[in-house]
Amino acid sequence: MSARAQNTIEGGAEDVPFIDSARLARLAAASRAELEALQLHKVRRQLARLHASSGYYRRRMDAAGIAPDALASLDGFRARFPLSNKADFLADQTEHPPFGERLGIPREEVALVNMTGGTSGQGQEIYGRSQRDIHMQGYLHALPWFLAGLRPGDIAINCVPAGGLTTGGWGPGEGLRIAGATAFHVGGTLSTDAKIDLMLRVGEVNFIYASTNYLHTLTEAICRRGLEPKRAFPTLRTLFIAAEGYPLEWAERIETLWGCRLQEGYGSTQCAGFGGSTCADGAITPRGERGLMHLFEWETLFEVIDPATLDPVRSGETGELVVTNLSIEGSPVIRFRTGDSARFISHQDTGSGRAWNAIECGTIGRFDDMLKIRGNNVWPSAIDAAVFSFGEVGEYAGRVYTSAGGKTEIEVRIAFVEQAAQIDQAARDKLIEAIRRTIKERTNVWMTLVACDRSELPEFSYKARRWKDERQQGYRL
Amino acid sequence: MRRTQDAADVAVRDHLILSRMLADAESLCGTRDALLAGQYRFLRGRIAALVELTMPIDLEERNG
Repeated sequence: MSARAQNTIEGGAEDVPFIDSARLARLAAASRAELEALQLHKVRRQLARLHASSGYYRRRMDAAGIAPDALASLDGFRARFPLSNKADFLADQTEHPPFGERLGIPREEVALVNMTGGTSGQGQEIYGRSQRDIHMQGYLHALPWFLAGLRPGDIAINCVPAGGLTTGGWGPGEGLRIAGATAFHVGGTLSTDAKIDLMLRVGEVNFIYASTNYLHTLTEAICRRGLEPKRAFPTLRTLFIAAEGYPLEWAERIETLWGCRLQEGYGSTQCAGFGGSTCADGAITPRGERGLMHLFEWETLFEVIDPATLDPVRSGETGELVVTNLSIEGSPVIRFRTGDSARFISHQDTGSGRAWNAIECGTIGRFDDMLKIRGNNVWPSAIDAAVFSFGEVGEYAGRVYTSAGGKTEIEVRIAFVEQAAQIDQAARDKLIEAIRRTIKERTNVWMTLVACDRSELPEFSYKARRWKDERQQGYRL
Repeated sequence: MRRTQDAADVAVRDHLILSRMLADAESLCGTRDALLAGQYRFLRGRIAALVELTMPIDLEERNG
């Protein structure tokens, strides 16, 4: 039976990618020992190449007394190879512009320049990719999409803005070409309404790729037109999201509205695309729990560490993702601290039968996004999960500020979807109080909620930035 | 079992074909035609990536 017929919310598509690809079947059948032997082979090869070609990494290896050829185990690599972080890369770039000494290939071999988004405020990392890397980046997008049901000849809608300087701008286009799909790159070039018009004209859409936030915006806009997504796009097989966390209730509602499986991937510039995905299993399990993103460990070596002690976390615990590129040659990252937080699930606990470790769906966050509010560590992803567990909410924005009296205050402005916006004042007050209590349950912080019109809040075409910390301004004289 | 072995044989064959293609693409990159040089590098990059992506998983197959 083909994936085309199977990838519905009733399930049954989990084995299809491993039937359709002998290569994936072999990777799925590999034992943990085989997988780690392959990883060690690739680590040694990568370190030997970088010792010869990258001053940045050579100095780190020499300082740690690591001889690539003599590296006996992955444990030895993890114990001795120094970690890098964003500040290390930025310092390297400043000293050796533009790519830094970590580039690892001749500058004239750089065929694609990618930069990180710069949303951290610290600066943008720059990555120089070779012709070989461009294909690898495409593959690291096509792989999770193939696993999720995308097949040659399919019609795909890419809602992520294309081009520019980001990996997310170039990887999807390359990935869809490699997958053999007919792709419409609508992100960033068309308004949401124009995208819907185009999708309706195209008709037989099979695959949609969007940030979590934008899928929410798109769904909201389709429903606002009085259309049911599953009736408007009956051939849709896969919704694939990335970049942001979400509540389970939201994922369930999305699957019901669209009538197909919601799949998720974890990716980044440092991973040169996706490092793992739900495969065909879906972001929600049949028991209504969060699904797992299985890691593509033969291309990227993942560690999940406690950010304070740097020790690996145990299965079921949340830690910081550390990545090492095994197959990228231009600006590879070796034991790079991503700042991304994820709940680690050992391959023994995934229940997939595969030897691939995993991370939990829908809960990826940023350690550096954390807001310290009245002594509590509050992550925007936790507030997203609380607010969007109410189907009546269309969008929201929050700010933390210092009141005239010097107190920390938190304001959350909420716009309801059209149907909910018409409810009477008493019902609305009750709903706002329920949302307020849910936020308190998940963050331990009481916040002030204010209803507003949808047009007063921004639309996000990629990663949502819903929070502003204005506390410093309150202390200005 | 037979199916798995057949798939492994095909994978090794594909990897060998691509490795030979990569050697040919390397030769093309020696061209003095500046217009073609970039396109040959493009081709070499694509093939090099596919050599990587078809790398045998089994240690013995990898060691040839």
